[in-house]
Amino acid sequence: MRTSLRVGAVAMLAAAALLTAGCTASSGGDGSGKKVELTYWAWAPNLDKVVDIWNKKNPDIHVTVNKQDGGDPAITKLLTAIKAGSGAPDVIQAEYQKIPTLVAANALADLSKTSANDTKSHFASGVWNSVTLGGNALYAIPQDTGPMVFYYRAGVFDKLGLSIPKTWDEYAADARAIHKADPTTYLGTFSSNDAGWFTGLAQQAGASWWGVSGNAWSVNIDKKPTQKVAGYWGGLVQEGIIDNTPMYTPEWNTALNTGKQVGWLSAVWGPGVLSGNAADTAGKWKVAPMPQWDSSKPATGNWGGSSTGVTTQSKHVDAAVKFATWLNTDPAAVKALVVETGIYPADSSAANAALTKAPSFFSNQPDFYKVAADAAKTVSSFTYGPNVNVAFSAYNDEFAKAAQSKQRSAFLTAVTNVQQITVADLKKTGFTVK
Amino acid sequence: MSTIAGIREKPSVVSTGVLVIGAVYCLFPVLWVLAASTKNGAELFSTLTLAPSSHLWDNIVQLTQYRSGLFWRWMLNTALYAGVGAIFSTWVSALSGYVLAKFDFPGKSGVFKVLLMGVLVPGVILAIPQYLLLAQVGLTNTYWSVLLPQIISPYGIYLARIYAAGAVPTDVIEAARTEGAREMYIFNRIAMPMMLPGLVTIFLFQFVAVWNNFMLPYIMLGNDHLFPITVGLNGLLNQGASAPALYTLVITGALLSIIPLVILFLVLQRYWRVDLAAGAVKA
Amino acid sequence: MAVPVATTSPAARNGARSSRPKNFRSRVLTPYVMLAPGIVLFLLFMAAPIVYTLVLSFQKRQVVGLGLGSGSQKQVFAGLENYIGAFSDPEFAASVLRVLLYGLILIPTMLGLALLFALLLDSRRTRAGAFSRTAIFLPYAVPAVISSLLWGFLYLPGVSPFYYLFDKLGWQVPSLLSPSLVIFAISNIALWGGVGFNMIVLYTALKVVPTEIYEAAKLDGCSEVQTAWRIKIPIIAPALVMTALFSMIATLQVFAEPTTLRPLTNSLSTSWSPLMLVYRDAFTRNDIYSAAATSIVIAAAMFIVSFLFLRVVQKRAFGQED
Repeated sequence: MRTSLRVGAVAMLAAAALLTAGCTASSGGDGSGKKVELTYWAWAPNLDKVVDIWNKKNPDIHVTVNKQDGGDPAITKLLTAIKAGSGAPDVIQAEYQKIPTLVAANALADLSKTSANDTKSHFASGVWNSVTLGGNALYAIPQDTGPMVFYYRAGVFDKLGLSIPKTWDEYAADARAIHKADPTTYLGTFSSNDAGWFTGLAQQAGASWWGVSGNAWSVNIDKKPTQKVAGYWGGLVQEGIIDNTPMYTPEWNTALNTGKQVGWLSAVWGPGVLSGNAADTAGKWKVAPMPQWDSSKPATGNWGGSSTGVTTQSKHVDAAVKFATWLNTDPAAVKALVVETGIYPADSSAANAALTKAPSFFSNQPDFYKVAADAAKTVSSFTYGPNVNVAFSAYNDEFAKAAQSKQRSAFLTAVTNVQQITVADLKKTGFTVK
Repeated sequence: MSTIAGIREKPSVVSTGVLVIGAVYCLFPVLWVLAASTKNGAELFSTLTLAPSSHLWDNIVQLTQYRSGLFWRWMLNTALYAGVGAIFSTWVSALSGYVLAKFDFPGKSGVFKVLLMGVLVPGVILAIPQYLLLAQVGLTNTYWSVLLPQIISPYGIYLARIYAAGAVPTDVIEAARTEGAREMYIFNRIAMPMMLPGLVTIFLFQFVAVWNNFMLPYIMLGNDHLFPITVGLNGLLNQGASAPALYTLVITGALLSIIPLVILFLVLQRYWRVDLAAGAVKA
Repeated sequence: MAVPVATTSPAARNGARSSRPKNFRSRVLTPYVMLAPGIVLFLLFMAAPIVYTLVLSFQKRQVVGLGLGSGSQKQVFAGLENYIGAFSDPEFAASVLRVLLYGLILIPTMLGLALLFALLLDSRRTRAGAFSRTAIFLPYAVPAVISSLLWGFLYLPGVSPFYYLFDKLGWQVPSLLSPSLVIFAISNIALWGGVGFNMIVLYTALKVVPTEIYEAAKLDGCSEVQTAWRIKIPIIAPALVMTALFSMIATLQVFAEPTTLRPLTNSLSTSWSPLMLVYRDAFTRNDIYSAAATSIVIAAAMFIVSFLFLRVVQKRAFGQED
């Protein structure tokens, strides 16, 4: 009756509205003539403000940012779209460890024949390696890196008369002292949920979890450097002087706020996280280089950092390359990235020009970016393989068990298990594994 | 013989007590959300009691400012997916349930059994192949990609069939037929109005199911302007290692998202004819 | 409450008899045409995806050389490899056992409480019925992702008001997120979210029972508890059975709660429940083929379980449905 008709009419109208809305939400311009529309999947906060600058200066190439939830979901969606044959964006923010996976899935366009190749001189060789995978192809333009450093609550160290740890032995001693003075306080925690953090630590010790040898991959997780790092942390957790709960949880946030976590091994983008989670502790933290295994050969790891790639489904590769080049090497763009998104740019000269003042959270330490630049110079090399996700997810499961058991031996077993799972996955798909 | 409806018996402390304890237990997390959304970031992680603070309005403002009001867009999206989706779904369920209840035709019970098997298939498993199929026609990352798969509801058809069997007398249909009415006319003008209370129930079920659905929109949508609240709030929590999780926004958002459903329930309570689900429709 | 009454037709009651129009066109074609929207949508969004999943489950990914660049990856026929992998996977077996234990903990508790609350609501001696009913039903309106986050805050000793209280009282309460107790933590979230819905289902079933029966029982000297046990519960047995079945199906598909809680604690693996394992294979490990095979196995198992369950309770439960 009238009900049915009314319902039908409402549904019809809604459907019509949706159809048009659905059309505008999809990406892609028409290829010919004037305005090119590019979609850019990224998760760096406030990136759209940077992109606005580009859009104002370039009315003929319009970029729309589709903010993603984070690195993993973005890449998962991209891979699904590539497999499905449609739905991928033009430009993608790709973390370095994801690049081999993306290349293996034929998701990233080879930019070596475009003007992107000319940006090589802007970046350190290690970073450039991550986007070329050591070959002649170019898969992305580096955007930012995450050299690892050590953050600590200066007041706590002063009060207990502790010096900044220069070696890992000193770090352990400091952790012991801090925990002894107050059994509810820790210098840090071992996080089974942050594989990137752990690989950075392993990287510092000289590990490189994958390697290429001819036409075969090798998996080198269960080797001395990683075993050394795992055993070290297992010992600290077993002794009880380092906490064993994951980071980025409400509990961890509370601990940062209430002074139960007084140190954080993290990367140069750390101020953003600290100010977001523990705003009231601003000015109480300081940054220092990471503790070293060998003081004569300073090294550090890298946690995070991403690049800008162009997908194989893009119909406007040249326009996309123009945009990506501008975003990551133009001084004004890099400055905007620093201000809006808080990243540490990979373009060394632009970074130095833009990073003159310490972040406001570290207003008490004017030489913050000098420490950061020094750290960036000592990042060791690390090769990522085609199944990084498998290794990282195995890390989550195995080290969760190890951390929970609080036994050093369990940490070593975990390393072996991660190796086994990673190798098995490669073999299953038909890779030759040395 | 007659019911003693009017006479109140002596109240039992035990029965009332047990029920009230259950009610308090169910309300507690909601109260926690209410208290937590009045705290600002620093307070959320340093004060642990349920004592409220005074920052609720600030939090709502902050939530609104996040990417220029994206949260309210998410609310609208959710209302659209749930509202329009449930309308379409209810109509299809009503029609299918009516035909299965009121017609006799070869293959009828087979069709019904196959439809029911759909209840057994988890949505999580279906979402990926649904994505791949929709990608073939370029419909992913659109409103349709979330609406279309949720129109078919085997559970809704099951309920509609029970209700049609009970609520629509066959004689009325026969009478209309002998007067020369077409079948769709009979359905639209005669059967549907009779099934209306049951249809409201089916609508509400599907509305809540779509409102709370996470997996399907998560897989289908890449453009965060199309997100429903579940996917949007989840994203605020998982910003990756280099950005802080926006707990205050999520908690405030969670509180605000509960409110519309609560109001919907309270308003439509009298239509909540869940006796269908009990399979115990009596004349 | 009863359904709308039949019209003033002199013929017998509605429901039992289906109509029988005369010719083939009306008898066969029309019903199918009217069923077309439902059937087409079902085929498109349920049958086709399931068939596609089945097809995928017999394939696998094969790489050539380093696996980089175009043309280095192919989809090849894999026979029963994925199924053999699923059945011999200790993680999959562990997750199935775990989820069965989870169901054993959750379903009797949830249905028991739902039944208790429904009976209490139905009792004339209970007060605060409307308030309790609404309050207990409220959690149904909260999506699982959100409720898991909220309960996560309440579980984590560092942020929970409960543990704050325990601390002040000097009690040492073990964390519900420890490996031995985490299954209860997850059950609690599902219980909180589901008991209200099931309570309303059972309560409405109770309301349909004619009160004359209770009068007769009372005259015979039955107490309220005896009435509940001997009369009410058997009468609503069909509702109990269907509720149990749908709860079982939902329980075996648990996914959102453990996934949301996992980053907060060391006690949950990425394959804690079978559907988490499927998700991990499909999305994290990029192996949609194994995921497809595991999905088919899960779906088949659930179908068998539901079928057996209904068979077993058929006599006790149903009269009406064919």
